[in-house]
Amino acid sequence: MAALEVRGLRKQFGGVVALNGIDLDIDTDRVVGIVGPNGSGKTTLFNVVAGVHPATGGTVRWQGQDITNIGAHRIARKRLVRTFQQAMSFPGLTVDENVRIAWEQGRRDDSRWASPGMILDFVGLAPLGRAIAGSLPFGSLRRLGLAVALGVSPELLLLDEPGAGLNDSEAQAFAAVIAQLPPQGIGVCLIDHDMDMMADLCDRLVVLDFGTKIAEGPPGEVLSDPKVREVYLGPDKKAAAS
Amino acid sequence: MPMIDQSAGKTGGAPEGVRPRDRLALLTADNAAVPLPAGVQAITAILLAGLLIALPWLGLGYRFLSIAITTLYTAIGLYGLGLQFGQAGIMSVGHAALMGVGAYASAILSVQLGLGFWTSLPFAMALSAIVGGVIGLPTLRVGGQHYIIITFCFCALFVIVLTNGGTFTGSATGLDVGSVTPLPGINFDKLSNNYYLVLAALFLALAATYLIGISRYGRTLRAIRENEQLARSVGINVDLHKLGVLMVSGLFAGLAGVLQLYYLRHISPTLFGAFPSLYLALMVMLGGARYLYGPLIGAIIVNFLPEVLNLEPVDARIAYGICLLLVILLLPGGVGAGIKNIYLAIRGGLETQGGGSNGRA
Repeated sequence: MAALEVRGLRKQFGGVVALNGIDLDIDTDRVVGIVGPNGSGKTTLFNVVAGVHPATGGTVRWQGQDITNIGAHRIARKRLVRTFQQAMSFPGLTVDENVRIAWEQGRRDDSRWASPGMILDFVGLAPLGRAIAGSLPFGSLRRLGLAVALGVSPELLLLDEPGAGLNDSEAQAFAAVIAQLPPQGIGVCLIDHDMDMMADLCDRLVVLDFGTKIAEGPPGEVLSDPKVREVYLGPDKKAAAS
Repeated sequence: MPMIDQSAGKTGGAPEGVRPRDRLALLTADNAAVPLPAGVQAITAILLAGLLIALPWLGLGYRFLSIAITTLYTAIGLYGLGLQFGQAGIMSVGHAALMGVGAYASAILSVQLGLGFWTSLPFAMALSAIVGGVIGLPTLRVGGQHYIIITFCFCALFVIVLTNGGTFTGSATGLDVGSVTPLPGINFDKLSNNYYLVLAALFLALAATYLIGISRYGRTLRAIRENEQLARSVGINVDLHKLGVLMVSGLFAGLAGVLQLYYLRHISPTLFGAFPSLYLALMVMLGGARYLYGPLIGAIIVNFLPEVLNLEPVDARIAYGICLLLVILLLPGGVGAGIKNIYLAIRGGLETQGGGSNGRA
């Protein structure tokens, strides 16, 4: 049984079907990537799983418990934690305080981080502890977003485009930090558009299109799947013409 | 929230070679989150406490002391407002009504049941807290300006209820109470003793505000103020904490209301209507809701300004308006923010001159 089990998950915004019956199993010992074109429902999937939006139908089970629609803060307390696409922090507070807030909400018995400072060390923000979060450059803000999420002692992290807006070297450094998480018992499920990074980082890729899962498997296999190529590159014009 | 273009790691201290334009930015910066050294905090607290305790002995006269008492009990109410607005980000322009709940609860208990100051105080504070929570229920659905309008409506409604309450609330005339039940050897009919009673309550309010500010609870409230969605996603029960802080704010308001009642010995609905509520909002903004001494500074400015400048009530309102505009334009964080920023700039300047740094990145 997987740690996170999503079954037949549906989400409708008025007449728009954002998720149309998604089934997904995610374990906490690996990195799972979710890819798909804009508007395919990736972020909505995170929002519904993490309780930001209520599901229209289907169930989400986490560690055997039904967590569908129990509310975002309760899901976070069960150590299923998400980050946001726009680098999110508590902008008016210091970096230290940002992480301390999350750390105090997390479990104190977590052996990985005895103090908020250790999390800042881990993401490489220790020298900026007394800076105001809102004044950080974008790359550091991304790291802070991760640090805040780690503060809650997650067992599974849902990362929404952690690399968006970073330059290549920043994105690589960030990917290196993410790759260190599964060996520490923190599963990662991430959304990103950088296919090279995703192929390197992920053990498994899930492809969404129009709210439906169209492919799932090891990155090499998935990226050579004709259905996936069609979604990303458009229908093969030559093949259609002939 | 002013967007200050600071490079990472700078927290308000003056960096080398500041241009004049940046000097204004230093003053308007929001440095509420920057911790002050413990020594500076302790010295400020001791000086302030000494001054307030010595005040009745400075021979400033009966009128001065009366205004000082008004200032202090108002400040107690403001500390509640400072907590909900400064820490949790929930503004109210109906806060006088919440003080009125405490004052009227205590007065009615006195008139109907003969309860004195000390026995009615806990009931009055509890009722204010409950009412604070009940008016707070809409914050779970609406925020910002929408909630502010709701608080204003509550305030108007409260005055209407009081005015039409017959002999129970004393209608428009209001209610009278006796003096504070004397403690052994202390008679509160003496003005300086009444001052010390209110001052003791202010010290309690200040201590509570300080302790909340440095506690996990205070950080949780600031998280909600700064980013509600992120607060939820790190496991904070935002709804519960919003109601909770409004109830704590109600406790402060109840205490302030009862002190006001027993200082004036007579209350009427107009004391708790729209104008007093707006003055409370004005004071907390003038002083700086996010700063420990901000509410007290705001209360001092608004209560003493007409006295110092010898203004008529209407002129005083114009002066308040000008003060508010100046603060919004020059000191968005309030006078408290200005004082802290000047301190940080001076210290930053000294550091630059000495070529040293105190380890801040």
